[in-house]
Amino acid sequence: MPDTNTLELTIFTILALFMLGGSLTMISAKQTYISAFGFLVAMIGLAGEFALLDSRFLAIAQIMVSVGAIVVLSILTILTINIKEENLPHEPYKFQWILLAALLISPFTILLYKALKTLPQQFTNIENINSKITGELLFTQWVLPFEIVSILLLTAMLGAIIIAKQKIKGEDL
Amino acid sequence: MNTDPFFLLVTLLFSIGLVGIISRRNLFVVYMSIELMLSSINLLLATLSKVLGDASGSVMALLLIAVIAAEATLFLAIIIHLYKTKNSLDSDNFIDLKEIK
Amino acid sequence: MLNIIVISPFISALLIALVYLFNTDVKRYFFYTFMGVGSIFIITILSLLTLYETINGSGTIHTALFTWLSLGSFKIELAFMADRLSVVMISFITFIGLLIHIYAAGYMKDEEGYGKFFAYFNLFMGSMLLLVLADNPIIMFIGWELVGLSSYLLIGFYHQDAANIKAANKAFILNRVGDFGFIIALSLLFIALEGHGFTFDEIKANISLLDHSMLSLIGLLLFVGAMGKSAQIPLYVWLPDAMAGPTPVSALIHAATMVTAGVYMVARFSFLYIQIPDIGLFIASIGAASALFAAIIASYQSDIKKILAYSTMSQLGYMFIAVGLGAYSSGIFHVFTHAFFKALLFMGAGAIIIAMHHEQNIFKMGALRGRMKLVYITMLIATLAISGIPPFAGFFSKDAILVTAFAGEHYLIWTIGSLTAAMTSFYMFRLLFTVFHSPVEGRRALRNVPKSMTYPLVILAFGSATAGFLGVNEAYGGKMLINNFLSLPDTLHKLPHSTEYMIGALNVSLGFVGMLFAYKMFAFSKHEPTEELLFTRVASNKFYIDEIYEFLIIKPLVNMSHFIAKVIDPKIFDGFINLNVWFYLTASKLFTRLQNGKVRYYALYILAGVSGMSLFLIYKLGVAL
Repeated sequence: MPDTNTLELTIFTILALFMLGGSLTMISAKQTYISAFGFLVAMIGLAGEFALLDSRFLAIAQIMVSVGAIVVLSILTILTINIKEENLPHEPYKFQWILLAALLISPFTILLYKALKTLPQQFTNIENINSKITGELLFTQWVLPFEIVSILLLTAMLGAIIIAKQKIKGEDL
Repeated sequence: MNTDPFFLLVTLLFSIGLVGIISRRNLFVVYMSIELMLSSINLLLATLSKVLGDASGSVMALLLIAVIAAEATLFLAIIIHLYKTKNSLDSDNFIDLKEIK
Repeated sequence: MLNIIVISPFISALLIALVYLFNTDVKRYFFYTFMGVGSIFIITILSLLTLYETINGSGTIHTALFTWLSLGSFKIELAFMADRLSVVMISFITFIGLLIHIYAAGYMKDEEGYGKFFAYFNLFMGSMLLLVLADNPIIMFIGWELVGLSSYLLIGFYHQDAANIKAANKAFILNRVGDFGFIIALSLLFIALEGHGFTFDEIKANISLLDHSMLSLIGLLLFVGAMGKSAQIPLYVWLPDAMAGPTPVSALIHAATMVTAGVYMVARFSFLYIQIPDIGLFIASIGAASALFAAIIASYQSDIKKILAYSTMSQLGYMFIAVGLGAYSSGIFHVFTHAFFKALLFMGAGAIIIAMHHEQNIFKMGALRGRMKLVYITMLIATLAISGIPPFAGFFSKDAILVTAFAGEHYLIWTIGSLTAAMTSFYMFRLLFTVFHSPVEGRRALRNVPKSMTYPLVILAFGSATAGFLGVNEAYGGKMLINNFLSLPDTLHKLPHSTEYMIGALNVSLGFVGMLFAYKMFAFSKHEPTEELLFTRVASNKFYIDEIYEFLIIKPLVNMSHFIAKVIDPKIFDGFINLNVWFYLTASKLFTRLQNGKVRYYALYILAGVSGMSLFLIYKLGVAL
């Protein structure tokens, strides 16, 4: 038992470091694609965390969607726009801003952490959050949100097309 | 193992995301910070589902991932559109809210 | 009846004014004269009837018109009271007023604004009667103010000349300064007698409620009002300038009636003043100083009306000596006799002025004795009266005052009074001799003096000659009729008759001495006052008092007004408001900069708010960090 604990803790720590490092890089990098890579690393780390929490399907879904779709799409967009370095936003006071924001947010962070700590502290080790149960729940209890989300995806697709579409002369959108 | 580290990680990620929104002017970084915040909530949901032994948390997290995907689509479309109109990725250039004429 | 006496002059004034304003160019000579003189004639008859009734034993007459203010127990009625003092006053006021109205009808005959003049004149008569017949001090004060107003209107009657307007302003303003003291005194009296009613009878009954220091203060402040109205030192400077008005105005207002309002007021408040003999002594001292001062100045004046003005001030000083030392009846008696001969002197002067084509400098007149016989004889009688030569009126009244002074062992006042008597005789005879006796080169043709102006002179001369017999001292075998009739709380004196005779003889001899000096100096040659000696220069310029007031009081006030208007008002008050405006503008500019359109900053503001709330919650919930 203690071994498992330490192992879990180690894995957790490594993944957490990945996530934190990735996110910190993301918010402080100057070049946009470096931020995107940082984000990528953070998402992968997050997928690992999901796996650690026995939500295997969630982990896979995270990698498939968040990493495989979102991050890829972001990097694609960044590289498509291909902004030159001199056209990047000129941010002279970036670190001062980050420090100020960090300072301002620290009370909220502390409060949130303390609030969350009041929740139950022990994991139940019962094996009833595996994929099978997740799938059953998804199509019995949660079928309505499921359908709505699919409509949402459709709408989002339409919306994206409309926003990004170039106007053809004479045509009213 | 207990849940403390997970909660700590959640709050840290959330804060980092918030800091990113406020302090950066690059639109992509703003977008990615928002995604980071949403993902941290995802992590919280998963943690709580394991704490309570209820799989509904996982289901919620799953659906949230779908929502994140939808929102990513739209967000990127908007960024492209904005870049087309003003040819800049600086959020400080979009100040049309300043005066209502 | 009292109602009619007070109201009819006001009504006639109103009617005359309305008709006059309807068309100011038409000369309705007959109408104005009829209304103006007729109303006074009626009230003279009524006043004499009232006097007759009161002599025959009816008590004080009270009539009320209406209640003016009624707030709980505080009630002021517009009511009139005719006790013996008031009745004596209204008798001679209306009688002499009537004579002067008739005189004025002749004097002002060809003037512009004839109707306006009679409207104002009647307004004055109404106000004076209101003052004298008032039942409570507040109504008396209304009359007091109205009399001042009428005086202002009449002095500035020849308004085309700016100097006359200045003189009118001066009179009104100095009156106002006196009224300030009067108002404070009335307020103090009212507060002290809270709840006990405020008519003269009630004040008299409750006077013991006030302690001595309060009484002294009230008495002093009331006298301040009298100083302004009756031209005593230091508020006298308006009286010589008031001679800019027409001569009937000078005769009626500034000789016989208005200026005596102060003396009347002291006599009316006699129940108060007998309790504070120290204030009375102060009043008498001021009176003595004014008398001497005015006599000195009058001896060096060249304008006939100004000499008479200073003479009035001097005689008023005598009246205040009397009422100050507690001899209220003697003071009122001197008011009574003075009204006769002073009005006569002014009216005679007016006749001379008209005859000499509006010339007022006595050194340009001369040898009128043969050419204006009636005027000469009447003015001679008046001059003898004012100099205190028996058996004319002035002797008895002045003698009573000086005897009171001597008996009360106020020897300094007595000395000043006697000295002033000599000087009075001197300057009055100087006037008489210069105008009527002294030789003059060349004879100018005299203008005709209307009969309406000369007949009243005769009647007044008769009065000056005989009015004195109403108050003859016991020592001379008289019965002191007026004193007994008035029944005021006089302080009686116990001088042996021999002392009284000596004082009387001294007065008469001083009068003769003055007359002789004047005869020597002025009857045979003109002796204009030169300015060689320092004293003569100072005296001829009226001791530069006007200039001193200008320097000490007027200039600082004007400078302060300038200062406030130019410096304090723009800089401090406006500056304060401008500071507020600047503050708002700056704050708004600051706030504008917060709204710069960048969403990032708005998110920062939200974060700041969230942070603040979190801090607060951490503190409140006692979260251990």
